[in-house]
Amino acid sequence: MFPSLWCYFNIKTQYSCIFLFLLKHHTRLLHILLAKTENLFKRITMSKRAAFCKSKLYEFHSHFFNRPIIVYRPPQHRRIHLLTAKTLFRRLYSARAALSQSQPQLSNDLINIMEQKLSAIENRHAQLEAILNQPDASPEEYSTANKELKKLRHTIDVVSELRKKQQEIGGIKSLIDEAEEDKDMREMAADELGQASQEEERLRYMLLKSLLPKDDVDERDCILEVRAGTGGEEASLFVMDIFKMYEKYSQNKGWRFEVLGVAESDVKGYKEASAAISGADVYGKLKFESGIHRVQRVPMTEKSGRVHTSAVSVVILPQADQVDVQIRNEDLKIDTYRSGGSGGQSVNTTDSAVRITHMPTGLVVAIQDERSQHQARNLICTLFDNKAKALKVLCAKLYELERTRLDANRSKLRTEQIGSGDRSERIRTYNFPQGRVTDHRVGITSHAIDDIMEGEDLDTFVDALILQQEMDAIASFTST
Amino acid sequence: MKSSRASLFSILQPVFSLRRPAFCSAAAAPPKPQTPLHLRPPAFRATLSDLNRWHAWAKTQASSVGSTFSALDGGPDSSLLLRELNWLVEDAFEHPALLSTESNASAEVAIKARLEEMYELWRQRIEERRPFQYVVGCEYWRDLILSVEEGVLIPRPETETIVDLVDRAVKADSELREGLWADLGTGSGALAIAVARVLGGGGRVLAVDLSPVAAAVARYNVERYCLEGRVSVRLGSWFDPLKDVEGELSGVVSNPPYIPNRDIHSLQAEVSRHEPILALDGGADGMDDLIHLCNGAASMLKPRGFFAFETNGEMQSKLVVDYLQNEMKGSFCRLEIVSDFAGIQRFVTGYKA
Repeated sequence: MFPSLWCYFNIKTQYSCIFLFLLKHHTRLLHILLAKTENLFKRITMSKRAAFCKSKLYEFHSHFFNRPIIVYRPPQHRRIHLLTAKTLFRRLYSARAALSQSQPQLSNDLINIMEQKLSAIENRHAQLEAILNQPDASPEEYSTANKELKKLRHTIDVVSELRKKQQEIGGIKSLIDEAEEDKDMREMAADELGQASQEEERLRYMLLKSLLPKDDVDERDCILEVRAGTGGEEASLFVMDIFKMYEKYSQNKGWRFEVLGVAESDVKGYKEASAAISGADVYGKLKFESGIHRVQRVPMTEKSGRVHTSAVSVVILPQADQVDVQIRNEDLKIDTYRSGGSGGQSVNTTDSAVRITHMPTGLVVAIQDERSQHQARNLICTLFDNKAKALKVLCAKLYELERTRLDANRSKLRTEQIGSGDRSERIRTYNFPQGRVTDHRVGITSHAIDDIMEGEDLDTFVDALILQQEMDAIASFTST
Repeated sequence: MKSSRASLFSILQPVFSLRRPAFCSAAAAPPKPQTPLHLRPPAFRATLSDLNRWHAWAKTQASSVGSTFSALDGGPDSSLLLRELNWLVEDAFEHPALLSTESNASAEVAIKARLEEMYELWRQRIEERRPFQYVVGCEYWRDLILSVEEGVLIPRPETETIVDLVDRAVKADSELREGLWADLGTGSGALAIAVARVLGGGGRVLAVDLSPVAAAVARYNVERYCLEGRVSVRLGSWFDPLKDVEGELSGVVSNPPYIPNRDIHSLQAEVSRHEPILALDGGADGMDDLIHLCNGAASMLKPRGFFAFETNGEMQSKLVVDYLQNEMKGSFCRLEIVSDFAGIQRFVTGYKA
């Protein structure tokens, strides 16, 4: 009966061409109106009251409709001041998408578990607030409490919103009980209740997502490595195709794609190729690309027109930040094999062997046969030079090593994650004769193989895989 | 304190004076430096089977050494000698890879020395303990390949650090980069050449050596690196040939003789039997030339000029710093002892006050 209030607006910015739809539930407004006109309402009949509300709301609606307005942000976004229209759009779009299709119905068990966790969080929050308000708290206590509070703030904002919503639902329910004889009012309230419950559901889902363990490297840049597997020259041609696919995909995403190295094969394909990709959420989007990609097509080199099957392997490694793996001169232990005796003029040897140890990791590089010690040292130091591209890969590998070590002790999330990081697994098939691409993990087939190879339609898989990961995480959340 | 180097020079002076006419006439033709083996033309031929026989013999020779040399005086062991043999092959052969192939044994290949000379060179290396660098006529030092021969000290890897110290100094004070530098006792010219390359186009280096052979080799190396315009080699004792630039030098570097007199004969055979004693013997406690250098640097350097000297390490570095601080109070500042890559306090650096 009551239409949802849609604020339709047009931001006068460089994105002025983007129309933004903002869904805003009207319940709060209704309450304000009701409160302000309470006395008035007491003197008029229920049906008149409903009609009054209706007319007020339409008035409000037309007031906003077709007007450029200030961006209205839901309360939990209030502290983010630097939202660009683009991210706002994305956020709303995805929120809407989540509402309309992907939002799973949360089971009662899950809601119960969540309620427990939420009250635990609320208690903790209250404790922390208390610590901050204590005048005799030590500076250490104060700062740790402050840090923890900051982490909790987002969740707490959503929780309080959820609590308000729950109160509201309670209010509406009692309104329904009151208004037994007024059919009009009941209908109105029921409609209201539906909307509020939906909103409650959305908030719960948001909370659930924020409670799930996060892979904190999702925002990282990544290193892409593609290698030819079975299938010889045809595989190397496909390495080139798939490498270019990721390049185009990155361009479409506005990411930076920096080729680190390409080893060409005899037929001008790539035996292997690597690149550093940087931008927003690169690793989070691409991490599921790791694995064996199978291709079925008639190779250019094939004369009889027979379809060949070959495979390439793709590896996506999160790029280490400079802070994670930083090679400092102090960390390098340089051993030379002429430290015996007093050295200098007293000794004449052609032994210029040098061994450099990276102390924190125990990584050792040694060079024996270089004729000048300086050259030997330089050669090694290039390996350790953190500006060198080689090191970028080394860093990523060291970082991955470290992460795997840490992850072994962590929740099952990562092992249950799609692809499970096992790089021998066949994850996707590109069938050119049939013009399809199938991802075996989510069981999705796209028939737009050309668009995918142009880096256009890869999101079909990326989004599905991310969604699947969320679902799996929810499943593991319930089981723990 | 009169340096023994100076006294040695005064003893030798009559000898030099006597021979002066010869040197004068030789002014047009100074001692001719030898060409390093790898730069010689592949003018000789030998069959692969002969060369393989030589190679097998040389390997046996190297292996038979075992660790006797290293036990005796810290000399090379078999594994080191075998590596040197590989390098000799690299330098002497036009196509070193041929040696290991199974191709026609009677085929002739081009080499840069006669087969007999190849035998002789390796015999000298093993039996006479002739330094490998003299055998092939060159030393790989930093990123340079320097020609060396008897009579010229083979530059040591420790000395490479001085170049880094100079690099650090000119990066800290760009005025030094444009200045005039001196390398005293330049030997093969290693420091002078490397310093000139660090300075780039702006600076100039004067390379000084008492030995005419060293001066000739240094000149040859300077030419090979096309630095004639920026490095000039002067013949003479320490600061003597630099009277015209007194108080104008931006930097002084030196790897002077610093081995105490009594230690020389117990050194590794390669050093004591073959390298020029003139470049090694630093007097009774090895300090004679260092002290002479300290005194000279005080008058030759301009204010804020930089110096870096190599020492025998540890105690000697401390003695040099003591001398600079006490005997030459106020002449220098920011004195520092720098360790070499083996952790031995090897270098003394500082600035003219």
